Formats: sequence, structure tokens, C-alpha cells
Amino acid sequence: MTDPIAPVFHRVGNRRHEYVLVPDGKRDWHRGRVPGLSRHWLMWRGGYNPKTLQRERRMADKRPLWWFLGLGALACAAPLLPDTLLQVAVVFCVFAAINVIWTLIIGAAGILSLATMAVVGLSAYAAAATNVFLGVPWPLMFLVGALVGLVVGGLLALPSTRIDGLYYALLTIGVAEICRVSISQIRALAPQNSSINNVGSFIPQDWYLQRPGLLLSFASAFVLLLAALFLFRTINSERLGLQLQAAREDEDFAEATGIDYRRARLNVFLISSAALGFVGAYYAMLYRSISLNVFSLDQLLLMFAMIVIGGMGRAEGAVIGTAIVVVIDRALIDLGPLRIILIAAVMIAVTLTTHAGLADVRTQFRGWRNRIKSERRAARTRKGGEVMPEEATEISDKQEIAYRRFDRRLRDRLKALITPDLLEEHKAAPLGPHSDALARVLNYFRRGEMPDKYAILQDGPPEAWTYTVMALSGEPGKPPRVVDDRVYQTRDEAYHAVFLLRVNDLLES
Amino acid sequence: MAKHRIFGYCTPWSVKPGDDMRFMVSAEGVTEARAMLVRLLHGDENAAGPGFVEQEIPGAVPDLLHVRRQFTQKGSYAEVSGMEVHDVADGSFTLAAFVFPTAPGTRRQTMLGRWDIAGSQGWALGINPEGHLEFWVGNGQDVDQVTAEVPLIPRSWYFVAATWDAATRRARLVQLGRVGRYNGKLGLVAPYDYDSIVTSALTTAPRAAVAEAPFLWAGASDWNDQRGRFVETLYNGKIDRTGLWNRVLTDDEIQAISAGAEPVSQGLVAYWDTTAGYSDGGIGDTIQDLGPHGLHARGVNRPVRGMTGWNWQGRDDCFRLNPGQYGGVHFHDDAMTDCRWEPTVEWTLPKGLKSGVYALRLTTDGAEDHVPFFVRAETPKAPVAVLMSTFTYLAYANEHLAYEAPIAQAITAHTPILTRRDVDFVKLNEFGLSTYDHHSDGAGCCYSSYLRPILNIRPKYRSSAMGFPWALPADLSLIWWMEQSGFDYEILTDHDLHAEGAAALDPYRVVINCTHPEYYSERMMDATEDYLTRGGRVIYAGGNGYYWVSGLREGEPGIMEVRKLDTGSRAWQAEAGEGYLASTGERSGLWRSRGRAPQKIVGIGFTAEGMDRCTHFERMPDSFHKRVDWMFDGIAADEKIGDFGLGLGGSAGIEIDRYDLALGTPPHTLLLGMADGFSDNYPLVSEEITYAFPGRGGTQDPQVRADITYFTTANDGACLGIGSIAWSMALPVNGGQNNVGRFMKNVLDAFVKPGPLPGGAHVGEEKLWR
Repeated sequence: MTDPIAPVFHRVGNRRHEYVLVPDGKRDWHRGRVPGLSRHWLMWRGGYNPKTLQRERRMADKRPLWWFLGLGALACAAPLLPDTLLQVAVVFCVFAAINVIWTLIIGAAGILSLATMAVVGLSAYAAAATNVFLGVPWPLMFLVGALVGLVVGGLLALPSTRIDGLYYALLTIGVAEICRVSISQIRALAPQNSSINNVGSFIPQDWYLQRPGLLLSFASAFVLLLAALFLFRTINSERLGLQLQAAREDEDFAEATGIDYRRARLNVFLISSAALGFVGAYYAMLYRSISLNVFSLDQLLLMFAMIVIGGMGRAEGAVIGTAIVVVIDRALIDLGPLRIILIAAVMIAVTLTTHAGLADVRTQFRGWRNRIKSERRAARTRKGGEVMPEEATEISDKQEIAYRRFDRRLRDRLKALITPDLLEEHKAAPLGPHSDALARVLNYFRRGEMPDKYAILQDGPPEAWTYTVMALSGEPGKPPRVVDDRVYQTRDEAYHAVFLLRVNDLLES
Repeated sequence: MAKHRIFGYCTPWSVKPGDDMRFMVSAEGVTEARAMLVRLLHGDENAAGPGFVEQEIPGAVPDLLHVRRQFTQKGSYAEVSGMEVHDVADGSFTLAAFVFPTAPGTRRQTMLGRWDIAGSQGWALGINPEGHLEFWVGNGQDVDQVTAEVPLIPRSWYFVAATWDAATRRARLVQLGRVGRYNGKLGLVAPYDYDSIVTSALTTAPRAAVAEAPFLWAGASDWNDQRGRFVETLYNGKIDRTGLWNRVLTDDEIQAISAGAEPVSQGLVAYWDTTAGYSDGGIGDTIQDLGPHGLHARGVNRPVRGMTGWNWQGRDDCFRLNPGQYGGVHFHDDAMTDCRWEPTVEWTLPKGLKSGVYALRLTTDGAEDHVPFFVRAETPKAPVAVLMSTFTYLAYANEHLAYEAPIAQAITAHTPILTRRDVDFVKLNEFGLSTYDHHSDGAGCCYSSYLRPILNIRPKYRSSAMGFPWALPADLSLIWWMEQSGFDYEILTDHDLHAEGAAALDPYRVVINCTHPEYYSERMMDATEDYLTRGGRVIYAGGNGYYWVSGLREGEPGIMEVRKLDTGSRAWQAEAGEGYLASTGERSGLWRSRGRAPQKIVGIGFTAEGMDRCTHFERMPDSFHKRVDWMFDGIAADEKIGDFGLGLGGSAGIEIDRYDLALGTPPHTLLLGMADGFSDNYPLVSEEITYAFPGRGGTQDPQVRADITYFTTANDGACLGIGSIAWSMALPVNGGQNNVGRFMKNVLDAFVKPGPLPGGAHVGEEKLWR
């Protein structure tokens, strides 16, 4: 046993680091809802400040605030950016939108598909082809893109129910490669190096690559990103997403409660694929052309880096990861090939230090702080069990603190009473009469809290009763647990065994 | 642990040959059980005694019973039948009530509404798992809700209301704190803003729940294919006056009702006035609807009535003084006063069956249950009656002390001794509580019933907290000795005494109390007192008797009520103003606090309890007086009386009583014997403690002792008081041949003879030379 160290009482107490509203309970609070959904616009949490009992209303989920600030800043800054950076912003928005939708497939539906760009590319080619070769007007390209996305998604979905995991991922990479090779074999496209150019677009021909055209590009890409986020939110937090969340936690349980999670998964996959098709059409229009680059493996790997850096399964992860990779890849273009090494370095750093990407850093930091806190508290408890001011802030019943201090001192006094003679005295007469010292020790044991308090199990026929030691749960409906497998022949032996266990607990405390 | 289980109960408990009985049995894992009627003669399997003794009576009951699993509905709630036809879900409506939640949070609780959990259909007002008030509606597909902003503070009164406007599809939830100086846990200084008013459009409109799902107080209807309909999401807490209107009340109307105004009649569908129906004799289970349709709510599992309401001012401590402030009805999610199983056997007691303690023995491969009941004489013939303490059996029925009461080990000085059956019992947790337990919200349990299997009155049962038999299994030691010693006796129960008064005792020359006649109703006290006055002879051979004021509701003997109050060895303490029995209207607590200490009737009363060791009695000088020395024939002057026994090895101890003129022991009472030398685990009882000071335990306080007293009454009556629970448990030692038995035999030999008692002549002035 280490010597008790003198506890150091640090001053505690914080000013508020968060703005809270103080509503008046007498006034009606009108709670608006998102049209068509049962969701409220913002999630508030009402309660009482434990220090003052003053009423407080705080934003329970601050993500809408961060989204608003982040996207708002981008929207405000974009018109002020030079052309090159504005183009980077456009690329960011488009890829962020694609990644958000991809996150739905990987995260919500749990299907490890790497054919994202294949769907985007096929839809883009199809939409562009209908426009250029069949003269379909550009607004209808969105429809064509979405339909092609849906069909391709349907085809990709077929094997997803049969094989999963890594095999499916490899398969989808193969699909992307097959698309690239197949299109490169189309003779009609060979003269243009397999690309389709002069695609109709929402950007007038003469604005293309001009300032107004760039601004329009950004505006449309920004709206596209908002639409992707809205889709993510709608699917992930409403019925489909909740069903899938239940399935992720426990497939059998979800199925038992009547959730058809396979169907839900398929639906999410199809909806996302259609959305990717829509993005494909948009992509072709944005650049007024589409080339085989869209299927390239480098592109796929860059997107993979975005997801890994940001964190899989969350919209904010997809967006943050995209922002970092796009900025390095496109804004630092002067660095040349070093950019790719830089991206790889960031990716390695993130995977080495975080559990689930940058979006998870906050939770990870809190977990780390809690771990340090509990380690320090455990160390202190071993060294005397004094409640520190910081722990006291978390104990609402202050009498608990008084009990702990009293108990610690009482235990110190009782420990001094434990002698071989005392043990012998108990062994001789477990039910008494007892000396004052033994009576005090016993009374302390008997007054203990219910959880893990010892009891004796009597078993066998009356003429051959045997006894074992158990520990009570202290919870209604929860039976006692067996402590050890030693069997005692008489009740007094069992009483004494319990006594020795308790003495041991006392001396160890 | 057990592969299968079998449990049963029966009604009525006390029967005569020729009476009809019903046995309710539930079994798991088997479909058939062998049945046998047995007479119970001894219970305790302690090797120092005769062991378990039963006498089979073949052919009295069918040999083979078809059994099945029967389900038990836990939790108290109230059911409104007829609301199906008046449901308000089609249009706008308002539901308003005063509520006092005692355990909000952790799981959903439904306070009021017609909600079908299985179908997600209907509407209800309740508490969500986070502890916030919530009003929810469902159309069978989707559920939507409006939730109050701040959590409910436990044990505080609130006015709550929910309105649904069918035209605008908007709901409004109103929560207004109603915390006063007296009515809850907190006073006014805690600066909570309890109020919250929230309005919201709902995406789902309510649709009336299926007809099988009734409007419920304190729960919601659920269904599964095994159990059928049952009640779930039970509520913990009180509900006071409640109203339902088929329109949206204006804010002014709501504010007026929240301040205590009479409910507006326009659009009123139901107004349940929880304060209606009080009489001098208490109140029943029906919560009256004073509205146009008379949709009364019927309480199930005895919601606790006679409780303080939202407007309690603290001046009147009883509903009889001011019923308008006693609107509280307390519901508990673990209350259970009637299993309501289907009868497995209906049976008529054969004529000629000897009076005694009987049981229906149910056996399957690996499981066994005894369902005890009490058979009185068809017409009393024997001179002796043994009064079985059925009120006490109820008070302790299925107690959880060893598992849930942290101080139990300090009181009993024992590490609990459990059996496999106890472990199963804890796991099953289905057969309700005793008056020694707390409900899950911390309130004491004031009702106990025999309409459920009671495991601790099984003959072989030993109290797990103490490791020896308690109540009925202990009392069987007296029955065994009576049988053995050849006295002609019959049995009676507390329930008979309560129902018939002294008329139940009058046919007998002697009445013997069992080990622990602790729970007594006023009628039982009166009957015993009258019997002694008329010349009856009572052997009060027990500890801590005639202690708690208890009652039964007229016509419902199955459920006993007690409120533990202010003083005494009490497992819990009733809240302020809630100490009167809803069953009878009288003040509960100790008889002593009502001016009726047990000393006034039997000469001795409770003084200490301890469960570490028992000791023996010694003769006192009075025992040598010729008035009484015949009782000690064959017992030497310095003989240790009962330094043996099945209860902790002695005849004196466990719970002990003493003589005290100040508490009303008749002045001519003789002190025949006493036992002292108890340990400090026998502290003086709390009702004796005015100032607390050190040294009130058995090693220092002279009041910690067990006494044997004797006094005569008018008309050749007499009362012998032996103040020890362990006494009767010493009788069976050595085949009944021992000095405790000897003493009992001497007394009974004299008591059974009519006319003057021996020693009655020696009443002259004492002129002694030495």
C-alpha cells in the first residue's frame, strides 16, 4: 500500500462558455416543424441549471449552426474570390455533393460500393449523348441522368445482396474499369479521344469560363451541395435511416421487430444512385463535356482520401474531407506532384491519430479527457478516497460526499481493530455474544449498501444442508450471484466465511 | 434455476367444512400436476425439532390437475369502461389533470388517455423516458407528440393539460407548477420555474384506439399473443382531479381550472372528482365521474387513496377533516393485490374435516408447492382455540427485506440465508410486495393481499433475512405441540375474529395467540378485550403483538391495509397527512399511539427485538405465590425455562414484550418470569425513545427484557402473557417433553376447566413472618 498523499484541493468553477436562453414558462412556445416532416427546425433542450435551478434553453444539436456558419461563409466569400479559387470552390461543392451521397451508400445503407464515379460517369455520358446526338434539350438531361443512375444502381444492387464486404468493393472497382474501357472502345467517340464535347448547359455558351459563368457555376454547385445535404438529412434521420440504424446495431433484433432492413438498404442504394446520376448530368453540363477521366482510378482514390480524412458515415466528414483534399489538390497546384504526397501524409496522419476521421475528433477528445479524469480519480481513491472539488460538482446528493468522508475515517478506525484474536472470536461464535470491538466491526458490515452484499445459499436436503456464499444484486428482479465455489458444511462456517470476506474487503479498501 | 415452476393461491383463506373454495394455479414447463390435500402439523426442518410433518388426506381433491401458465398484471391503475363510445379522438378535445409524478424518467409512463401501445393508436398524456411531460397521438401508423420543455421535478404537484384542435391540427401542452408550502417534497425557496406551455402542429391526427383498449389512469393498454390485453407503461405517482372536454378550452378556462375552479360544463365529457366518495369509513376503488356520462374509473391493484391532493394546506391531516384537499390517488408500477388468475380447481370442503391448518400440495417432477388455508370447526366443540395470525401473515407476505433493505442485516444481525427457491423468487419478482417493502418510487407499501401466491407462508419456509421460520411456519410449532400433547383444540384466524368479533371466541374457554400477532384491527382488539371481560382466558404467547392499527375494507377480506406512522419499528414512514386507513377511515400507526397499548389488554407489550441469539426465562418471585405456583408444577425454582428452541436456540427472544404499569398493564398483574441478558442487538424500541442517549441496548437498558405476566379478569377470566416470539418455537424440542411444554400444559390443564381458576382463593392480606 502506498502512503496516502495529501490531497490538493484545486479551485473549480467556470463561467458559461455557451449562450443559453432563459425562457418564461408562462408564455406559449410555438414549435415549428420542417414541412412534411415531424422534425423540428432546431433541436432545443430545456432544463434547469443545477447550480442555480434557473431555467435554461440551449441548442441540443449545434450542427445546424455550424453548417449555417460554414456554408454561409463559403457563399459570402465566393463572389469575392479570384477566378482560380472560385473554380476550386466549384469543384469542392460538386465533389462534396458526390461524397455526401456516397456517404449515404457506405454509411447509412452499409454497402461498400466504390462504383460511385462509375454511376456519375455513365449518367454523364448518357445525358451528354442524348443532348449532343439526339438533341434532347438540356433541362431534360437531369432526368436522363437520374434515370440512368437508377438503372445502373439497380444493376449494381443485384450482387450486393449476394456478396458483401471486400468482394463487393473489388467488384465495383472492376465495374468502373469496365465502363472506362467500354466507352473507350466506342468508335464514334474515338476522334474526340472518347469524350463528348459541346454539351448543352444551363450556362450560356458565351458565359463559359467568364466571370458570370463561373459565378453561375458556383451558385449551381452550391445549390447542388445543399440538395445533397438535404437528401442525406432526409434519408438518414427519417424512417429509412432509423430502420437502417436499428439494423446496424443488431440485424436480428431489427428483423424481429418487423424492420425489413434489406429492403430499406436497397431503397437507399437506389435513391442514392439516382441522385448520383443527377449529379452526373450536372457534371457534364458544368464542364460542357465529359471525358474518360471521370472513371479514372486516381479520381476514385482521391475521393477515397476525402472520405477517410473526413470520416466515414457522416455528412460533415464528407464535406470536411472534400474541402481539405480539394484545397490541396487544386488550390496548391504550384506544388506539383508533391500535392499527392501531401494528401497521403494528411491521410496517414488522420488514420494514425483518429478513430473515425476528423469529424469525430471532438468526441474522441472528450473520451480522452474522460479517461484521464477517471484514471486520476481512481488513483486518488486508492490513496484515501477523498472527494475532490471537481468530483463534488458531479455529485448532486452532497450527503454522499459526507458519507464517503465519514466512511473512510470509520474504516480507518475499524481496520485497527482487526486482530487475529478478533477473527478467532468470531469463528468461535458467529452470532455472539461479542466483544465491543467485534460488535462494532460487524455492525459496520451489516449496515453496508445492498449491491454486492454477501448472502448465504443453503442447498440440499434438510439432513445434509450445505452452504455457499453469494452476493446480492440490490436490484428488484435481479438474483444474487455466486461468489466462489467453496462449500461449507455448517451455517457457522458459512457465517465465518462471509465475515472473512468482509474483513478482506475492509482491509483492501 | 428450477426447470419448471408451480405456484398457487386460494380463496377464501379461512373456511369451514361444507364451504366452497377456489384454487388458482399457474405452472411453467408442465401441463399436469399431482394434487393432494394435506394437514400441516409442523413446518421447520430444523434438526432439533420434529422436522416437516404433514398428514395426507387422500381422495379429498382430484389427484391430477391440468395446469397452465397464468399471467399476473403488476401495477396499480384505474380503468374507465364505456369511454370507447365517448372517445373524443374524432374532434377537438382537452384533457386536464393535477399530477404528482414520483419517479419521472428512465422509461415511458402513461398518466391518462386511451392509448393502445400495440396498435400505436389513440391519445395519451404521460411522461417520456427523459422525464418530460408529453402528449402523444397515433393513427395506427404514425405517432406524433408535443413535449414540455423542462423536465418534471419529482414529488411536486403540477397542473397539466393537453388540447388538440382538429381543425388547425395543432396541439397545446400546458404544464404549470402547483408547488405549495406543504404539498410536496420541496418548498417555495427552490427557485424552479416549473411551467412550460408548448404548441405545435402535429403531423398525425389521433384515431380512436380499438374498443378493447380502455381509457386508463396510470397505464396504457398493450397486447401480445400469449397474454392478450395487459397494461404497460405504468405510472408512478399521484393523480388528482381530472377532466375531459370535447373542445379546445380557452387559455382563460385552463388557467381557471389550474387555479382550482370548478370545471366548465360546456363540452364536458367526463370530470373525475377524486375527492368524491369519501365517507367516515374511508373510500373504495372507484373514482367517480361527475360528468354527463358517469364514466367511473375502477381501480385495479388498489391505487392508494386518502392521499393528500394538489391543494393540501397541511392543516388537516386526514381526509375526514377536509376531503376537498385529499384528491390524491397514488399509483405504483409494482403494486399487486390480486393475481386475478382463472380458478384451476373449485372444490367443496368435505364435512367432518378436522379443524386445522391445511394445504393443497401440488407436485410436478422437480417442483412442489403448498397452498395453505385454514379450516375452522363447523360448530366449535373443543375448549381451546389457536388463533392463527393471518393479518401478520399478510403483513409479511413475500417480503423482500433480505434483498432490498440495506439495514435488514443490521437489525437481524444475520447474513441472509437463501434457498434455491428464494433465488427463484427474486428472479420472478411477480407476486407483489409486503408491508415491509417499498414501491419502486420509494413509497412504503400499505396493502398486502392473499389473492396471490405467498411464498413465505409455505410450511418449510425460513425467513431468508433471519435463517429461521417466521409467522405461519413458526406457528406450526405450536400446532404440532397441541397435537402432540393431546389437547382438544380448533383453529381460528384473525380474519374470523375481525369478521365476527367476540362471538368467534366466546365458544372457547381458552384462546392461544400465535408467535407474532402484530397486526390487529379495532374489531380484533375489541373482541379480545370483551372476551377477557366476559371470563375468557387468553394465552398471549408471542412477541410484539397488538401493535399496528390495521384494517380490511368491508366485504374484501383479501387485502389488508396498514400505514406505518410516526413511531414504532417501521419499515417505512407514511408521508405527512397520509396516515389514515383508506379502508376504514381510522388513524393507523401504533395502537399505543391511539391510547391502546397492548399492555391494556394482555399485560405486556413490545420492548425490543434482535435476531442474534435467544435466551431462556427464569422464575420471578411472584411465581411462588399460591395464586400461580401451580403453573410451575415440576419446574424447579432456579430452573432455566426454555434454554433451547428452534428459534435461535432459546425460548426468550427475537421480539420481546414487557410489563409496564405506565402503559396500562392491569395493576394486579403478577410478574411470573423474565428473561434478560440480551445483547446490544436488542435495542430498546423507538417508541420508547424520547431523548436519545447511549446505552439503550440489551446489555445496559433494564427495559430490554422479556416478561411472563398473569392477571385475572372478571367472571373467572384470566390472561397469561408470555412476551417472546421464540416461546412456541421451543415447544417441539425433545419430542415436546421439555419445561416450556410442561409450563404450557400446567396452564392449559387449569384453563380448560370451567369455573374458578386454581389459586383464586389466595387473595388475602399477606401476613408474613419472614
